[in-house]
Parts: sequence; C-alpha cells; structure tokens
Amino acid sequence: MSVKRFVIIGNGPAANHAAEALREKSSESKITMFSKDPFRSYRAHLLPDFIAGLIEEEDLYNRPYAHYNEMDITLRLGQRVVNVDFSKRNVILDHKEVVPFDGLIIATGGKPRIPELFQLFGDIMMTLKTPSDARLWIQKLSYVDSVLIIGGDLTSLSLTKALLKLGKRVKFILNEDAFWPVPLNEEIYRAVTGRLEQRGIEIVHCRRIRRITQLEENLLEVETDSELIEVGALGAFFGLVPDVGFLARTGLDIDRGVLVNEFLKTRFSNVYAAGDCAQVYHPVLRDYWISIGHENAIALGRIAASNLAGSHLEVQVEPENILEVGGVKVNTSWWTEF
Amino acid sequence: MPEVDFTVEVCGMAGDGTIAAGGLINEAMSLGGFSVLGFDSYPAEIRGFGRCVTNSRIGSNDIVALGEKTHALISLNDEQSRSRAPFLAEHSLVFFDSNPPAYVSEDNSLLSVLPPGEEVFGMPFGELAVGASGSSRGRNLTALGGFAAVTGTDPNLFRKVIRDKFKSKGEKVVNINVKSFDAGYQYALEKFSDRLKSVFPKIETGHDPQKVTLSGNQAIGMAAIDAGLKLYFGYPITPATPIMEYLAKYLPEHGGRVVQMEDEISSIGAVLGSFYAGARSMTATSGPGFALMTELITHGVMAEIPAVILDAQRGGPATGLPTKTEQSDLHAAVFGGPGDSARIVIAPTNVEECYHFVIRSFQLAEKYQTPVIVLTDFFLDNRVENRPFIRASEGQAASWNVFPDDAFKDRYQRYADTPSGISPRALPGMQGFNFTATGLEHTEKGSPDYSSENHAKMSEKRHRKIRYALKDLEKPAEFFVSDNLDVGVIGWGSTFGSVLEAVEKSRKNGFKVGALKITSLFPYHSETIKAFMAKSRRVLVPELNYEGQLANLIAHLDSKPVERLNFVTGAPIPPSAIQNRIEELLEVVA
Repeated sequence: MSVKRFVIIGNGPAANHAAEALREKSSESKITMFSKDPFRSYRAHLLPDFIAGLIEEEDLYNRPYAHYNEMDITLRLGQRVVNVDFSKRNVILDHKEVVPFDGLIIATGGKPRIPELFQLFGDIMMTLKTPSDARLWIQKLSYVDSVLIIGGDLTSLSLTKALLKLGKRVKFILNEDAFWPVPLNEEIYRAVTGRLEQRGIEIVHCRRIRRITQLEENLLEVETDSELIEVGALGAFFGLVPDVGFLARTGLDIDRGVLVNEFLKTRFSNVYAAGDCAQVYHPVLRDYWISIGHENAIALGRIAASNLAGSHLEVQVEPENILEVGGVKVNTSWWTEF
Repeated sequence: MPEVDFTVEVCGMAGDGTIAAGGLINEAMSLGGFSVLGFDSYPAEIRGFGRCVTNSRIGSNDIVALGEKTHALISLNDEQSRSRAPFLAEHSLVFFDSNPPAYVSEDNSLLSVLPPGEEVFGMPFGELAVGASGSSRGRNLTALGGFAAVTGTDPNLFRKVIRDKFKSKGEKVVNINVKSFDAGYQYALEKFSDRLKSVFPKIETGHDPQKVTLSGNQAIGMAAIDAGLKLYFGYPITPATPIMEYLAKYLPEHGGRVVQMEDEISSIGAVLGSFYAGARSMTATSGPGFALMTELITHGVMAEIPAVILDAQRGGPATGLPTKTEQSDLHAAVFGGPGDSARIVIAPTNVEECYHFVIRSFQLAEKYQTPVIVLTDFFLDNRVENRPFIRASEGQAASWNVFPDDAFKDRYQRYADTPSGISPRALPGMQGFNFTATGLEHTEKGSPDYSSENHAKMSEKRHRKIRYALKDLEKPAEFFVSDNLDVGVIGWGSTFGSVLEAVEKSRKNGFKVGALKITSLFPYHSETIKAFMAKSRRVLVPELNYEGQLANLIAHLDSKPVERLNFVTGAPIPPSAIQNRIEELLEVVA
C-alpha cells in the first residue's frame, strides 16, 4: 500500500496539534504543513509582552524546528496555498507548485478583521496577529509617543498594557464595531472604560470616525464626531475573521468560515477543517458556530486529525457556551477567563 | 564591524546566467572591501542542460578555502537547486522564482526539500525583469537585486559592477541590466520590509586598491604576458581553455601570438621549437592532453630544451570528469614518460601564486633547459580570489637564459658537463656555435653515443642539473610550527587553503598542530620536509586523489607512517574533513 500523503494548511495551534495527532495515529504517512507566514508556531498571547520588552522574540515560539524533524513532519513556512483542486486532490502554492494529498486539514486560523468602514485606511491601521506585526509595532514605537487604539478585543487590551509599560500615551475608542467577540452593552462599556481610565488611558467617546489624515510619517490626525485627535500611531482591533478567502472558488461550502459537520468534515471526502477557520455544525442548535481561542483550536485540531485517520469523534460543545455576536454564533469558552 | 563569514550560492541550469550572477557577487563584494573566494562548477556539456553552481565565500578576514555551508542560495532553477539543499546552513536565506513559467510538481520543487528553518524569499524574477527591461534575460539580475536588498548590501556596489561588465556593449545594454537589478532590489525592499537583514555592513575603508579580483586562469594568462610570452600553442581542453581564451584576447596587444594546434602533441612540439629558437612559449592542457605530450616532454629533457607546460588537473583517468577537480596528475607530472626523464614540477596553492609561479617557470625552464610543469587543478584555475596582488616588474620576469661565453666559441660543446650540470645554451643564429636538439643519447658535443659509459655519465649530468635547481625552487613554508607538533599536516596545490583553515581551527581548539606547504614537487626540499615530519608525532597528507600521490613521494623521508586523507569526490576537500581527521589523530596520539 502506498504511503498516505496528508497536507495541513496552517501553522497555528489547531494545525500543529492536528499534525501531531495524525503522526500518533499514522506513523508511516507523509505529513506536510504549509504556512503563509515565515515563522514557526508561536504563542500569540505573548506578542504584547514581546513589544513591551518583557520577553525575547525567541520566547514567543513554542516548537523548535527539531521538533518537526523528530515527528517526521515537513513544515513549509512562508509558502502560501492559493488554491485547492478537490477533484485532482492537489493543493496549489503561490509559486505554482502542485502538491498532491490523500487527506487534507484546513486550519488556517483567523486574520485581523477590518470593518468595511475602515478598509480604506488599512495601510495606516496597525494590527497585531503575528511576530511580524509585533516587530512593526516595536519599530513604530521607537518613533512615536502616542497611540490611538480602536478596539476592544483581548489583544487590544493586552497591547494597551504593553504601551503603558513603555510610557506611551494611549487613547482608546471603544464601540460596537470594535468590541469582539461579545456583544457590547452599556454595562460592559462602563466597566471596561472605567478600568481603562483608572490606568490613565484617555477614552474617546464617539459614535464614529469621520476622517483619518496622515500629516507626517509618524503623525496622524483622526477626526471623530466628538473631537480631533493627533496621535503617532493607530491600532485597529476588531477581532479576527476566518482566513479562508483562498478557498472561495474551490467548491467548498463557505459562509464565514469553512462549513463542516460535527465531525469537522467538509463536503469533500477526507477533507476537514479545524480551529478558527471552521464553522462547525451543532446538531442541537441546528446552526453553525465559530470557534475562537487557543484551547478550542487544539481540541478541534486533534478531532479533525483523528477523524481523518479513521476515527469518528464528534465535537462536543454545550449550547450555552455558544453566544451570538453580530448575527454570528461563537464558542467563546476562553472569554470567561478574562 | 562584526566578523563576516558568509557563503552565497547561485544555482541554475546552463544558460540561466548563473555563472555571470556569481561573478557579479564576487566583484561587488570585493568592491565593498570584503575578501572573496569564489568557485564555479558547471556541466561538461556546452549549453542547454546541466547544473551550474557558483559558490562565493565572503569574509571580513582573509578567506583561504570554500565555505562548507551556504548561508544564502539564489535559485534560478528550482529543480537543479534541490541538490544544494543539504548544504544550507540553519536559517539560511533562499531566493527563488515565485512565478516560474509553468506549474511544478512537488518532486521538482526546491521548497519541498528545504528544512523548516530556512527563510524563503519568493520573487517573480522573470516578470520583474520583463517589466524593467522588456526581456526576461535579466532575471538573474533581479535575483541579485533581491539578494542585495535582503542582505543589506549597498546597491551601488552591484550597479557599478553591472555597469563595468556591460559597458563594452553600450549604454542601452548597461541601463537595461541596471534596471533589472533595481527592479529586484525595490521589490524585495517593499515585499520583505520586515525581514531585511544587515549581513554586509558598509566597510568604511572601502575597497583596497591593491586587491584584484582574479581567477587562477586569469592570473596565469596575465603572468604569461608579463613574462614576455611570445607564442602560445594549445588545444582546447577543460579546465585550461580559459588560459588560451585570455591570451587570444590580450597577447596580440603585447606582440605575441596564440596558435590553436591540431592536438596536444603538436602543441608541445611547437613550444619546444619556439624555446629552441629562443622565444618564450608555453602550452596549457589537462590530464588527457598531458598524457599525449609525455614523449615530447622527455624529448625536452634529453635535448635540454626549455618548455613551460601547465597541467590544469581534472578528475581522471582518461576523459574522466572534465569539470571536476582532482590532484591526480602528480605522478604523471613527475614520472610520466619514457626513460629517466627528471624535470621540474611546481604547484601554486592560490591565485596569487599562480601568477608568480608561471613567471618563475619561464626562468627555471631557461636556466635549467628542461620542461617545467606547473600543476594547477580545476578548483584553482576556476576560483576567484581578491587578494593584494602586485604585478612583477620587467626585471623580476627577466630572462634566465645561460648563454655561452664568446671565449668558448672554438671549443663549444652544447652539452658540456659542468659542476651544476647546466650547459650554456647557444640559440640558433648565434655566430660561431653549433646547434643541436637530439633526442638520442649524445655526447657533450651532441653527437649520438649509445655507449654504457656515456649514457651513465650524461644521465647523471641531467639529474645533477635538476637537483641543482633546488636552489632556485621555493622551500616548503611552515605555518604554526613549533619544536614539537602532535599533528603535522602537509598540503599542496589548491588543497592547501583547506589545510590552513583546518589547522587554524584545530589550534583555536587548543591543539598543537602545524602545517607545511609544499610548492616545489620535483625536485623537492627533502631536508625541510624531513625535519617537519620528524617534529610531528603524526603526519597527515590530505589530497584530492585516491592513492595519496604526494604521500607516496615523501613517505620514505620518515620512519613513521604517513596518514593519508584522500578525496575523489570531484570537489575541494572541506576544511572540516581535515580538522576532523586531525582531531581523530590527536585522540590516538593522546
């Protein structure tokens, strides 16, 4: 029998745990992981600490390269999958390489969400998802003293703490668009802004941003419906959306993420999706939900791998752990820890 | 400035502009003030298929050997570059074409065989070149642009060497090529803005004007011209052909001529004829051609006619490995041919020595009236170094001919037996002397004489002359030698750079190791070699041949056995292999 070729797209917690689980269950198979990012598996929640200088970049990474050799997993970093041909069972990379697979797990995770209203300003809005983003923040912060954060997700709050540690002035805009992934109500708004103000952060109370002007390389002017603000940098934190755009024309069922059943299987045989990029069917709710968070991703990654290797494991999520945010059902079990 | 020791490889298919790109790296880095040792390997076939690889080791200190691990790979053909993946250092930089003309399978992809720690930089080489110049031919230059941007190299260094390379083709061609480079440079600056490095910091002192970037073959050609070469006779053969090409281009400007002969036999015949008439001439060949020359070389020995023969060794025997390196002609150079035909054999160890040894070979040939064989090899001929280089003055290249005194006109004997064995030589046309060039055994006067007494006497005279030549032959050079060594390493030819680096590294590890460089291979300075062997508890001779041909020559000089380290891989010996062997021997010594 020929060696099975498994391909995993992604390099986050879901992808890595999927690869490791596959190796445990299939010692002879060929496992290849593709990541569009050029860095190995990292702890995203430590990025603000890296920016604050509390840890070295090396501390971000949680798997040495040797780990992949030991596991006989081929890790291909900085190589973007741009298409999947499900009829020929190939993934196609952006440098025109065609890689065949017998089984595929899509675990591309999420990418920073920029609401449509702000997309025009995408090039001056800084995000924080990867070590590369963190390096850009470090570079920028060496030139600027003040930062405006439009956000409300966990990353924006962690980054704010890092900025304060670095002695930067921080202004904060908190609104419904920016708060993710729980619905922002009056009570939460008051609690969060109160905490921020206690730490010396200036809250900008406004309904909308009218214009953003780049006055100089390190000076921005932001006009809101309540005031005119001058800052050195602008951080935009609107949560994450599944990073599945490259699959749009492949025939996969996609809503916000890749639609999978409760066994994480897509409509194509031996093709699974796991982690933040998957929308998982819940047989009780009779609807799809999106998973967010490290622990969820690990669990889903392992289930997808087990099922690809022949198991029949079902994702178990209590319906009460699934919230509805902006019309999307989200499993935010980790959020309660915040 | 932090210490720089960085190796770059360019790999592509023949016709991709691989060798040109590697050459530009060597030139640019040299211009930037770095030391460079570059080496190209390419297929034996002329064009259209086969792998080409250039290897450039760039350093802030002197570089004497090739790098063993590659820190940056520029792939102009991914299928060919897959073979280079095992040589990549950890976290190396890999530049590749992200938009090749056709889809490639995983089995032919470079990226599929890279270890995960390598940093990949995909650039649409061809597309960028087309955008910049209208043609994809400049894709090697866009690749260099990406390399310069990512490594933090001053782009003006590359722009200058590109201009110099293409200036003879006119301003339009120059601009097209600079634009192709700039397109790659700008693309990489923007695309990889968060991954830019500072591998090559600017050296404030800049380029040392005494440093000249030359290949071994260029140095040989230049030396021949500076020595006043009048005639070059040759038949093309890898890796000696570039010498003929160089001379064909430049020798006529200096009043000389290059003649392509019908074969190597006629080449050596013509060289002997020219020298017989008093004109400096030479030929260059490789193993198979050298084999054809052997009978006439011994004719030069018997008739006592000068000749300069450069044997650029390659992998053998027979046609062997035309574009691979080896040091396996030593026995043929020293002993090849019929009869007791002692001749002079010398071997440079680097590009600078190629120059000086070729000049000296003309003088030795003239003075000792015998063929002088200069042994180089593919690695030495084809490698590029930028070392301080001072050309010989006219006086330093002066004739060493030993002409007869007019007082002897009446009793002139062409083969007069003198204490040194050197018989003053009259050139045809010198009034009052007789001229002979016989391959038959002869008397002092030059008349045939096959008697046992005469043959014994004249054989001894010819050998005495060769032994006497030792006084003009460079003595072995000692490196890091003290009274006692745990391991003494003896090297010759192109291998000596690896020997030196290995010995230096072992010494840094605290070991008592020294090196001996032998450049005069026949006759050789046996007393110096013997003394070095005597003070070494173990003697190691690394060579690029199967048997250990130098080891065979010198093994009898000491009672302890000579340790041999022989490579026949077609590639230079890696310094680490020598270092490992040294340290293995040290364990035995301890």
